[in-house]
Amino acid sequence: MNILYNSGTVLIILGLPFFLSGTVGLIRFPDIYTRLHALTKADNVGLGCIVCGLALQSGSWAVTAKLLLIWLLVLIASSASCHLIARSAMHKNIQPWTRS
Amino acid sequence: MRNGTPSSPSHILSQYARRSLVRFVVFSFLWYALAGSDKASWIIGVPAVLFATALSLMLASSSPLRISSAGAFHFIPFFLRQSFHGGIDVMRRALSFQQLLDPGLVSYTTLLPEGSARIFFVNTISLLPGTLSAELHGNRVTIHTLDQGLPIWANIQRLEYHVAALMCISPEKKESS
Amino acid sequence: MSWMHIFFALVLLPAIGVGMIRILRGPTAADRMMTAQLFGTCGVAILLLLSAGMGNPVLLDIALVFSLLAALATMTFIRRTWRGSGKKKHEYPLQ
Repeated sequence: MNILYNSGTVLIILGLPFFLSGTVGLIRFPDIYTRLHALTKADNVGLGCIVCGLALQSGSWAVTAKLLLIWLLVLIASSASCHLIARSAMHKNIQPWTRS
Repeated sequence: MRNGTPSSPSHILSQYARRSLVRFVVFSFLWYALAGSDKASWIIGVPAVLFATALSLMLASSSPLRISSAGAFHFIPFFLRQSFHGGIDVMRRALSFQQLLDPGLVSYTTLLPEGSARIFFVNTISLLPGTLSAELHGNRVTIHTLDQGLPIWANIQRLEYHVAALMCISPEKKESS
Repeated sequence: MSWMHIFFALVLLPAIGVGMIRILRGPTAADRMMTAQLFGTCGVAILLLLSAGMGNPVLLDIALVFSLLAALATMTFIRRTWRGSGKKKHEYPLQ
């Protein structure tokens, strides 16, 4: 039990930097497409780590199932809305930023 | 399971029954996840699950979506590993002092058939390291990449292979479409 | 009350707060909308951590609704207000 709890804590701590770097990427990256990369990938992995950590700590199958369901929903939602935003930006002729 | 030729009425009926059973189990699991382990919740839960099964059969009864369990067994670890790499990749580029970005657009022609497999493929591209699906036009996917130096083609081909295995799409069917 | 989880939730708050800069800077409406998406994902994570920290399982349901609403908000935004004109599609340099 204690080992499960502690490895859950490690996973949660692992997840936090992903969120922070997702936000840093959202601020620092030069155009809308690169910002989308930062937002979707970093945040989904961060949420995945936190969900797995909390599931290990919860010790209940119902809570684990609900946590995984939330993660799955966020995954579907963010990949779909990421694709929609990128497609609309392409249709609006927003040029991707290129090096030099 | 398979009695008679693929188009015989008994085969269609058994397929229909199997499909509704699978959906019933999935929706029951969903209810369990939402409502928790309280047994009294099934007073509402059983009618809700039955209603959801009937509704989904009415709305998408002819959906050809087939998921192979062996494919899922290979796909889920692949997906988790790749999205973890994607997160690390973005973190590295966001936090480094130099500008590590070299974005560009890549066009990829997919062999996956029209429908759920292709849509699933396009949505998972965005979770792979350094790639983001920007447009789907027929079977041509326009992909935005964070770094043109990444092995994008190899990654996407691998993803396509895994999606085909997950959705029970055989190579022959892939060639013909 | 588990202070550890509440501390983790507090660590995530700046991730939302700093995201506000993108709302101020824009430049397009979609950039601002992406911050809303960030609020969705980060908000879900904070709610999950708070639910564990305060021992309140109701917060899990709120997180579930939050994740659904964030998706709907972005999709409605794209379909209703930020639709592409649909012309001149492939004029970018493709490799």
